[in-house]
Amino acid sequence: MNELQNMLHESVSRLFEDELDWDALTRYEKVEWPESLWDKVIEQGIDKVLASESSGGIEASWSDAYPVLRACGRYTVPLPVSEAILGQWVARQSGAELPEGIPGLLTQGFSIQESKFSLNKSIVPWGSRCSYYMAIHDSELFILEAQKQEVETQNNLGRDPRDRISGEARILDRFPTNLDNDSLLYLGALVRSIQIGGASAAALDLAVTYASDREQFGRSLAKFQAIQHHLADLAGLVASVDAIAIAACARLDLSGITDDQRNARFEIAAAKCRASEAVEKITRLSHQIHGAIGFTYEYGLHFLTRRMWAWRTEYGGVAYWGQELGKLAVESGGNEIWPIITA
Amino acid sequence: MESIADKLRFDPCQLPDDLHLLRQEVRAFLTDELQEYSVVKRSHSWEAYDAEFSAKLGERGWLGMTLPKQYGGQGCSAFERYVVVEECLVAGAPTGFHWVADRQSGTLLTRYGNETQKKEIIPKITAGKACFCIGMSEPNSGSDLASLRTKAEKTENGWLVNGTKIWTSQAHRADYMIALFRSDPDPDKKHAGLSQFLIDLKKTRGITPRTIENLAGGKNFNEVSFVDVELPADALIGTEGEGWKQVTEELALERSGPERYLSCFYLLRELIDVLKDCANPAILAKIGTQVAWATTLRTMSLSIASQLHAGENPTLAASVVKDLGCQFEQSLPGLAQELCDLEPTLEGYGVPYQQILGNLIQIAPSFSLRGGTPEIMRGIIAKGMGIR
Ligand SMILES: Cc1cc2nc3c(=O)[nH]c(=O)nc-3n(C[C@H](O)[C@H](O)[C@H](O)COP(=O)(O)OP(=O)(O)OC[C@H]3O[C@@H](n4cnc5c(N)ncnc54)[C@H](O)[C@@H]3O)c2cc1C
Repeated sequence: MNELQNMLHESVSRLFEDELDWDALTRYEKVEWPESLWDKVIEQGIDKVLASESSGGIEASWSDAYPVLRACGRYTVPLPVSEAILGQWVARQSGAELPEGIPGLLTQGFSIQESKFSLNKSIVPWGSRCSYYMAIHDSELFILEAQKQEVETQNNLGRDPRDRISGEARILDRFPTNLDNDSLLYLGALVRSIQIGGASAAALDLAVTYASDREQFGRSLAKFQAIQHHLADLAGLVASVDAIAIAACARLDLSGITDDQRNARFEIAAAKCRASEAVEKITRLSHQIHGAIGFTYEYGLHFLTRRMWAWRTEYGGVAYWGQELGKLAVESGGNEIWPIITA
Repeated sequence: MESIADKLRFDPCQLPDDLHLLRQEVRAFLTDELQEYSVVKRSHSWEAYDAEFSAKLGERGWLGMTLPKQYGGQGCSAFERYVVVEECLVAGAPTGFHWVADRQSGTLLTRYGNETQKKEIIPKITAGKACFCIGMSEPNSGSDLASLRTKAEKTENGWLVNGTKIWTSQAHRADYMIALFRSDPDPDKKHAGLSQFLIDLKKTRGITPRTIENLAGGKNFNEVSFVDVELPADALIGTEGEGWKQVTEELALERSGPERYLSCFYLLRELIDVLKDCANPAILAKIGTQVAWATTLRTMSLSIASQLHAGENPTLAASVVKDLGCQFEQSLPGLAQELCDLEPTLEGYGVPYQQILGNLIQIAPSFSLRGGTPEIMRGIIAKGMGIR
């Protein structure tokens, strides 16, 4: 990690670690919206790591923002921080200024006709809290008013809002952009892969600590070879999720996601496919190592695993990204797959 | 905030731009060169022995690339070698003749060999004219390698060796063996009292390899008996009694390379072609997940190469990649059978895909044995994580 990455990692981890203990996570998912934490996120400019300097950001690279996004996964931040970070990058890329408040990213369930923008059960993270929506359509970035639409509230398994929004949205602003219609989907997939890496690393740490502390048959669980092998297996899977997600960030920094022939789409697809696939075994093993205690609400492993189960399919899961890569493979032919991987 | 995963960071490695040219050159060479080879031979990849092919690679300066120039090496970075190796593996080039020499023996000799050994042998390695084998496993010492019993006793002029090695790949046709023997029969600790030796198989008497046929009919590995074998004093590599440490370093080279996930890549390529008109979403998604896996493993494997290049010691990370890579490559033949009903065939029957599949189904069980089993690798990982 470079200096900036270290600094971001430390400051963001400290904030989330302090603010998001078991009590807080429980309160936020059962009782209240974490208003004060959101204020701190804004105050510290965490949402603006990828924003342009003119928008008050530090114009960091995705590789630099990686530790921040990963912390959002590791600490199961119950706020649209990764969405906000991503939105700022899209704005920077398109020379746009964003309004204050929480952005809602539209990746599906909308249509445009003669400058009339309508949403049809569009799934929007924290939709009911959003101050505005962002959408990309035919080389334009749209900023839309988030008011007067019909909101069906719904939470994902992690108890994070994934509201369904329907109705017309007034266009507040529009900017020409070189990003494609599916850019938001790709970027969403990337941030979820990074978050899965963070959450799975936290689950691994819990599993190692638990296995070392818990004794059965007169010794700690970690002394049993079967458990050691579970932990080693788990560690490998976590490392694989992290590795491809970092690689996707590096590629994105190098070649973007649209113009360059060798843009980051391939790595992003691979990252989300890998992360989504790995979630099944990562969650299975971390629960197995914990025994019954891990199955309780009291213990808190579930904050991680429930989110991983949800994130698995958000912005496309194994079926979607696997098919994208599978189609690419068969259309390019066997001889071309290695050149694609090594390009 | 201390996290185990931080010990397992695989920072992405961007290969230097100029390696692109080398890659194109190697690709073109292999496309030309491999046209005449049977598909089954190609699917054997780094276990297919072909002295002529190795000599051609040597001529081009593509063997022992990282070894020092003064001994005939190229003094290249690990990345150049990495590119040549991964291209050879993916193309299914028969690299068995030079494989061990290029991967580990040359480096081991450069580190621990004496001047005579280096001057005489490294030029042969870089020319692709020396085939090496690894004499580690014994009938009663597999995973528990340090329990080995073949002994080397000090004599007036050198060493006297008695015992048996087993599973020694290529021993029946190799030029040299680097072997681990017990030089102290009664050490204080199990891992002490072992030493490494360089043996010229063409000149030394008393060594008898007996080829062991594998389940697929292949004849690659051997039982090698040593009866009163006299070795000169300077056959010792490195320091007497330091064999375990040296072998551990050697195994790090043996366990960290791209061959640990690419053994079935040739099959994946053919499978993709066989499925080219497939529109079944579930099958496409399965192919896609394999592509994602391969891409991930390459990222990790390349990251290890760059950690080695930076002089770090990525034992933990390399064990992780070997373990994951093994799962990936070993499951591919079975998966191919689930995705496509073309039956696996023996050599000479059916389309190329069927023959490759037929071969790889049979040899896949060995992927999780050679170079150390997953059970052992996971023990190493657990130790690296501080829980063992
Ligand atoms: C194709 C091929 C080529 C080879 N080439 C060479 C070569 O060139 N040179 C060489 O020296 N060797 C070579 N080997 C040998 C290889 O290194 C050994 O097969 C390997 O180390 C395992 O030893 P083993 O076969 O005796 O199995 P064993 O050690 O008897 O193990 C059998 C099973 O028990 C498991 N096991 C063993 N100990 C433990 C434990 N403590 N905890 C849990 N499980 C355990 C193993 O993981 C394995 O699943 C080759 C093997 C193959 C298959």
